[in-house]
Amino acid sequence: MAWLNVHETSGASYAGSTPYSRYKHLAAMMLEWRWVLPAFIIVGWFVYYPIIENFRVSTTMQDIFTGEVENVGLENYTRLFSDKVVWSALRNNLLYAIISIVFQVFGAFIVAAIIEDLSSRKMRNFWRAVYFVPSAISTTVTGLLFYFIYQPDIGLLEEVMKILGLGAYAKAWLGDEDTAIYAIIGMSQWQGFGYSALLFTIAIQKIPKELYDAARMDGAGALRQLWSITLPMTREMTGMMIIVTITGAFQVFNEIMVMTGGGPNNSSQVLGTWLYEMGFTQNDMGYAAAIGSLIFVVTTMCGLAQLWYTKRKRVNT
Amino acid sequence: MEVFSKTTALALIFGCASLPPMAAQAEMADPNATVEYSGELSILTKFGMQRLQPYFIEMAKKYEALHPDVSISLIQEDDDSVKGKTKTLVASNSLPDIFFSWTGTWGGNFVRGDRAVDLSPVIGPDTDWGKTFAPAAVSAFMYNDKYYGIPLYLDAKFMGYSKPIFDELGIDVPKSHAELIEACKTIDAAGYLPVSFGNKEPWAGLHYLGQLLAYNVPQTVLEADYDPATATFDDPGYVAALNQFREFQDACTIGADVNAISYKTAIQQFSDGVSAMYYQEIIEFDSSAKPTTKLTPDDFGFFVLPPAEDAAGDHMALEGAPEGYMISSASENIPLAIDFMKFVTKPENARILSAPPFGQPPAVQGGADSENMNPSVVEGLDDIAEASYLIQWLDTVNHPRVASEWLSSFQAFVGGTKSAEDVVADVRTTAHSIRN
Repeated sequence: MAWLNVHETSGASYAGSTPYSRYKHLAAMMLEWRWVLPAFIIVGWFVYYPIIENFRVSTTMQDIFTGEVENVGLENYTRLFSDKVVWSALRNNLLYAIISIVFQVFGAFIVAAIIEDLSSRKMRNFWRAVYFVPSAISTTVTGLLFYFIYQPDIGLLEEVMKILGLGAYAKAWLGDEDTAIYAIIGMSQWQGFGYSALLFTIAIQKIPKELYDAARMDGAGALRQLWSITLPMTREMTGMMIIVTITGAFQVFNEIMVMTGGGPNNSSQVLGTWLYEMGFTQNDMGYAAAIGSLIFVVTTMCGLAQLWYTKRKRVNT
Repeated sequence: MEVFSKTTALALIFGCASLPPMAAQAEMADPNATVEYSGELSILTKFGMQRLQPYFIEMAKKYEALHPDVSISLIQEDDDSVKGKTKTLVASNSLPDIFFSWTGTWGGNFVRGDRAVDLSPVIGPDTDWGKTFAPAAVSAFMYNDKYYGIPLYLDAKFMGYSKPIFDELGIDVPKSHAELIEACKTIDAAGYLPVSFGNKEPWAGLHYLGQLLAYNVPQTVLEADYDPATATFDDPGYVAALNQFREFQDACTIGADVNAISYKTAIQQFSDGVSAMYYQEIIEFDSSAKPTTKLTPDDFGFFVLPPAEDAAGDHMALEGAPEGYMISSASENIPLAIDFMKFVTKPENARILSAPPFGQPPAVQGGADSENMNPSVVEGLDDIAEASYLIQWLDTVNHPRVASEWLSSFQAFVGGTKSAEDVVADVRTTAHSIRN
């Protein structure tokens, strides 16, 4: 890399430490920075400044109509701990994350491995397409579709349950405080599963075939190959999918708004929808910003933990 | 899984909260101001529904044809989305020149923040323009003895019913709560759904409760309870109204499952002849029964939700309110904005609004075109005129946090996870927490 060479060269000159060479070194450094400066400004302004500003707003109480701003210190954070809906929303986000990891990471991994093990190329393409199609539909459309599927009395799910003799267990899935969030999570798995499976398919395709050939020669069966070759060789993808899934679970919004609006009785609220409710329905921007900070902290911690884990377990071929 | 990205969430807060919220400056309309017919007018309407959208488009085109140097841009939202949109626009100091408003606390927010122009000199009861409106409609937008709103249409809630089903089963229009319950039992026994009701959007259920509260709680008590500073929520009428609703829900609807049904699905069930009744706003009459739906306008009847005979409130009260528009105090062309609204509320334009497919009962006197209007809407207007007072929507008349508590607690009540006493206690606690 040319820029690196310049840097190293100028670094060596700098060791000579004449005022001229020091100036030259500084000029070279500035020349390097000019290429990255626009990106720094854009990322700084649009990503990091709002995050810092959000923390500032979270220490205020604002009335959007009158423009009054009152500094309240950490009061909004204290309120977070006594807000029952925040805890319920956090629990829903965690449920979303756990169930999504089971289905969209490990379930998708197994399905991808099975698809890639099919001998017919046509069948492989066919099943990839079958699983991927739901991911191509917008969340709003999917939400409306499942709203009708879950309808009491006339919904497709209830009809199927009746055919299977399970009609007694049918209920208003989206209208019941105990089931609303699970019904939404279920829809989300249907939609997100294919996308994850496709990513795992790509990761599996990158594994050298020789490893499988060698394993077969050593007498390893399909399960042993999955466990000893496919799983370790896709660990980075698995780690990344876990990060993406957990982060996504804490940012879920559209499907909740479309299917239940957070109800009934706030039972399907997640942190994102509660943030919106506080900021834009209840006119409480400071508290909404505090919820935003909570989302930020949780997702950042999850991200860092997963990055650390996957780095530690990296497998090189 | 589609995400409300972290950056989007923070950017929303950042965009709306970190830049100001800027204080606005109070403005008063000048009746002698010269109107400059040039520039752009932006308008936020609540006519986002496909059926209603053409009205403001048509008005804008007509006005632009009269004044070629004026261009009008419309932001058309529906009943649900206009709430979030308006607050986002306020928070980002981007309120359009003319914007939709409900009466009550909703409109009061704009007045409190000096966001709306004081229109008293041009629309007060003694002014030429003010005299063209129904007086109650103008006074509904009165705050601190000043007039801030331009009422466009009147709205109230009625129980729509299918005349063929009522005739088939020999049911008379119920005159009391008990008769309504009996009618539901008869309809249910005949295999029809008595009342289609969707409470996925909890304001739909709160509309029932609002009417029942008017019947069970004295008006003065209700009005004191709207203000967290004076709210006590200790009148026994609250629990009585909730218990009447429970009786209604058990006999007339599919029960707790209504929390899974959207109000749009419910109105469709009524239009399709699946249900015998649907509780609706007068502005929905033309959409629930159309020549193209199974329930035609000739089949459509309506009545005021009947009170329980022993209810302690006002039996002649009706739930509803005019809805209208305000002028932004930040508008650079206030006289032009007022002139446009004078144009929209001319009797000939009000008559267009009153006739199908719009069917909005106009707030302008003489604006109702009874020959072209749905006869039911004309009759509904008479009921509005006869009402002792109009109780406003609970979700717009209360403090936002109290309204939110009503919405979630009532949904829990409908779902069977909260008792009537618990609902009232939770609303009271929320009101007191605001006061403290």
